[in-house]
Amino acid sequence: MNELENNILELKDVSMIYGAGGQVKALQNINLTVVQGEWLAIMGPSGSGKTTMMNIIGCMDRPTSGAVILDGQDITKLSPRALTAIRRDKIGLIFQQFHLIPYLTALENVMVAQYYHSMIDEAEALQALTRVGLQDRAKHLPRQLSGGEQQRVCIARALINYPKLILADEPTGNLDEANEKIVLDLLRRLHAEGSTIIVVTHAPEVGEHAEKTIFLEHGRVVKTTRNR
Amino acid sequence: MTKRQMYMKMLLSSLLRRRSRMTVALLAIAIGATVLLGMMTITYDIPRQMGREFRSYGANMVFVASGKDAMLKLTDVEKAAALLPQESLLGVAPYRYEAVRSNMQPYTVAGTLFDQVKKTSPYWNVEGGWPSEENELLIGSDVAEFTRLAPGNTMTITGRDARQRRFNREMTISGVVRTGSVEDGFLFMRLDTMERLTGRSGEAEVVEVSIAANEAELSALAARIRERVPGITPRLVKRVTQSETSVLSKLQALVTLVTLVVLVLTMICVATTMMTVVMERRKEIGLKKAIGAENRSIVAEFLGEGLCLAILGGLLGVVFGWGFAQTISMNVFGRSITFNFALVPVTILTSVVVTAAACLIPVRRATDVEPALVLRGE
Amino acid sequence: MFCQMLKGALMRQKGKLSMIAFTMALGVSLATAMLGVMMDVGDKVNQELKTYGANLSVVPRGTSFLSELYELEEEDGEDTAPNAANAQKAEKYLAEDELVKMKMIFWAFNIVDFAPFLETAAVVGGQPVTLVGTWFDKHLDLPTGESVDTGMKRLKSWWDVTGEWCRDDEDGAMLGQNLAAKLGLKAGDFFEAATPDGAGRKRLEVRAIVNSGGKEDDQAFVPLRLVQDMSNRPGLVQRVDVSALTTPENDLARRAAQDPNSLSRKEWDTWYCTAYISSIAYQIEEVVTGSRAKPVLQVAESEGAILRKTQLLMLLLTVLSLICSALAISNLVTASVMERSSEIGLLKAIGATGAAVALLILTEIVLTSMLGGTAGYFVGLGFAQIIGRTVFGSAIAVKGLVVPLVAILVLLVTLLGSLPAVRMLLSLRPTEVLHGR
Repeated sequence: MNELENNILELKDVSMIYGAGGQVKALQNINLTVVQGEWLAIMGPSGSGKTTMMNIIGCMDRPTSGAVILDGQDITKLSPRALTAIRRDKIGLIFQQFHLIPYLTALENVMVAQYYHSMIDEAEALQALTRVGLQDRAKHLPRQLSGGEQQRVCIARALINYPKLILADEPTGNLDEANEKIVLDLLRRLHAEGSTIIVVTHAPEVGEHAEKTIFLEHGRVVKTTRNR
Repeated sequence: MTKRQMYMKMLLSSLLRRRSRMTVALLAIAIGATVLLGMMTITYDIPRQMGREFRSYGANMVFVASGKDAMLKLTDVEKAAALLPQESLLGVAPYRYEAVRSNMQPYTVAGTLFDQVKKTSPYWNVEGGWPSEENELLIGSDVAEFTRLAPGNTMTITGRDARQRRFNREMTISGVVRTGSVEDGFLFMRLDTMERLTGRSGEAEVVEVSIAANEAELSALAARIRERVPGITPRLVKRVTQSETSVLSKLQALVTLVTLVVLVLTMICVATTMMTVVMERRKEIGLKKAIGAENRSIVAEFLGEGLCLAILGGLLGVVFGWGFAQTISMNVFGRSITFNFALVPVTILTSVVVTAAACLIPVRRATDVEPALVLRGE
Repeated sequence: MFCQMLKGALMRQKGKLSMIAFTMALGVSLATAMLGVMMDVGDKVNQELKTYGANLSVVPRGTSFLSELYELEEEDGEDTAPNAANAQKAEKYLAEDELVKMKMIFWAFNIVDFAPFLETAAVVGGQPVTLVGTWFDKHLDLPTGESVDTGMKRLKSWWDVTGEWCRDDEDGAMLGQNLAAKLGLKAGDFFEAATPDGAGRKRLEVRAIVNSGGKEDDQAFVPLRLVQDMSNRPGLVQRVDVSALTTPENDLARRAAQDPNSLSRKEWDTWYCTAYISSIAYQIEEVVTGSRAKPVLQVAESEGAILRKTQLLMLLLTVLSLICSALAISNLVTASVMERSSEIGLLKAIGATGAAVALLILTEIVLTSMLGGTAGYFVGLGFAQIIGRTVFGSAIAVKGLVVPLVAILVLLVTLLGSLPAVRMLLSLRPTEVLHGR
């Protein structure tokens, strides 16, 4: 198999500089390759540039310089509209603060992703909730769910459109140990089923589940390790 | 489930499950629409309502005989009155004057229809009562002062009838009229009494008419009467019509301008409230964008909500605005307001436009920002 | 610490708070404009109603009835000649040089215009004509050093004049349109007028033809001096029409009109120092010897009615639109507090009492409102002036009372408007908010 074709994501010389005059160098000359089916963890202390990197990979922000090739396409050159389309079609996002729409039920929150993507299939949405173990909480509003349950709804929403890439930003940051375990088990199952997963975290116990871990410090990759 | 059903579901959920916010927004729109409809209704109705009030200045049209005739025929007057719009015709009072004497003093006595005079000349200040019996007399205040007669006294009047025969009649004074002008020096009796005394009937020298209409309408009516009833020459009482036109137009300008100022300010108030309510949802917009919503769909969702609120608020505003205008009309003029139904769609449309604009500005601002920026911070 | 938090909130929430300040400014400008216009609308409309002409008629005491009757009897012409002669003999007059005193009474500024009249029968080209002597546009110098211009030109604003207004110092005349048609005269023509006994004779130029829609259409108007000369009644007038700005009548005024002596000392003072038509009439009678001032009810009564209606209308419009803007502002305050519910929840979570949070929010909003309100006050003054200039062509005199009224309004509206918001935030449970509702 051709190595190049197997790359789902490639970062070439990516830099991100905030502020006038380039005072804040959030990312400096990052090079990174993620192959299909890989589980990558991006780790580092607060302020090391993790979230910036996550935003760039998630097509929610554009780097100051460098190229980001997602599924064979350089996304740095795309219009905001095309970026939205890529986000919709290729990426499933999981956030630290869950971010559910407060006035929609768990099931509807999953269906919103279908709505923006293509077709609405209530049975499929319910199935996704079943996969995260929330079939009996489908009609609840986010405020009636616990943090762990909310995060599971997010995961169901992230995978409903079969994304090429699941991107999770501190997915367990706001969860207790029990829920953390549930969420990590879910991610592991998704990985086993062949999903590509990128997790951004500062917690080693989350990072150690990944196949590959890169460590960021002051916007640079300082170390890359392979587990197992 | 189709996409459209999902859209409706999201819309309804947003409206129904965020009740307190939506109430605030709905209230703002309803207030705006209330003021809009209420003020516009009043502005629209002001000329009519105030025009009625200006009728307290008395007759604005008089009929006199055409050509060399001194007397009008009452049958002609009836014909002419039938040509006038009945709903705005307040009164038609004929006057016929005769020279009489009492205690050797000469007087002018006018015969008229008192229930019409009450309408055409509401400013007459009558002490005592209006004549109701056939032999009752109303005397001017100067006559009363000169003769030292008071209501209840009797007065004997003498004169000549149509065939130059003398008549002599004792009459009871029912009241004293004071107007501050020529009427103070006259005597007044019922027209039928005068006709019996003089043996001549069906005539009048002048007829005073009070119509709730503006100068242009009056001129048109006068032209029609002149054409259809040749025996009558209608004349506008310039002092009353012209002054009414000038004062009324100022009043209308005043109310219009006040309405304009109030409307602009209220609409801005509505817009700011809507903007606050929408701005609160920046995060939701960011999230929707992050999970792949296009700007177009987000705008469509917010506009849909805004449209629902605007129509509902507009309808509420129509109801309350009508109440607003009716309250003012009943309190100021003691009459019901004329409701112009064309204002209903105008009100709702304005609500929709203002709400849509107030939604669009913050939504556009939120969608233009990269979702990361919105989602990142609290 | 409270001050620090307040400062922080004020500085960092600039966007949201400026929205409140902006809306407040709008509301206050509306209130200021409406209150300003409402309080002045009476005077302005009163001024406009002067187009209806005189509302007071001043005649010599005792003869008013006979002179007016004489006017009508003459038309009838039937066996009344001896009486007419008697009437003329018995006629009394007012002195022309006393009229200027009317501009020196307590309510002098409310006397807008006045014009004297002196009539005489005359013959023009063999036809009987009533010559009315009057002031057209008379310049008077008051003993006080001031000067006024008054006369028919101002009093009869509804007259349709074809030609030039006559001047008071020339031998000119203005003819009613019916009379002009009867005599076959037009503007620029000359005619000769003589008294029936032939004693007075004048050659006059027709300056203008008048269409008045009233009995003036059958009369000829000439300068007062000419009629005084022709009929040998120097310095005398028969009647004066006065147009005065008045306050609508009330019970007190009606009682006073019946008999001023029936009032108590205090009531009398109130009545005398209010511009009721009866008190102005009373004061004119005081200064013009042998005069009787009668309110012309057609004008006076209607004026009162229209004024009351207009003021009531404006009052109601003001009150209702103020209620609406109060509602709108309170609504916005509620909305902006709702928006900050997570911040408030956090404050409560770290131990702030409901009262402390409410105080912080209220102080914030009141400070902002004051700022917005001050700006709005000046904008409102501008609005009032625009309305005044556009509608009445003169500035609106904004009464000093508006300032405290508006200030109280701002405070009340802000506090009341915050009530639902404060109630809401007191009932807010920190967990609910932070749980990410």
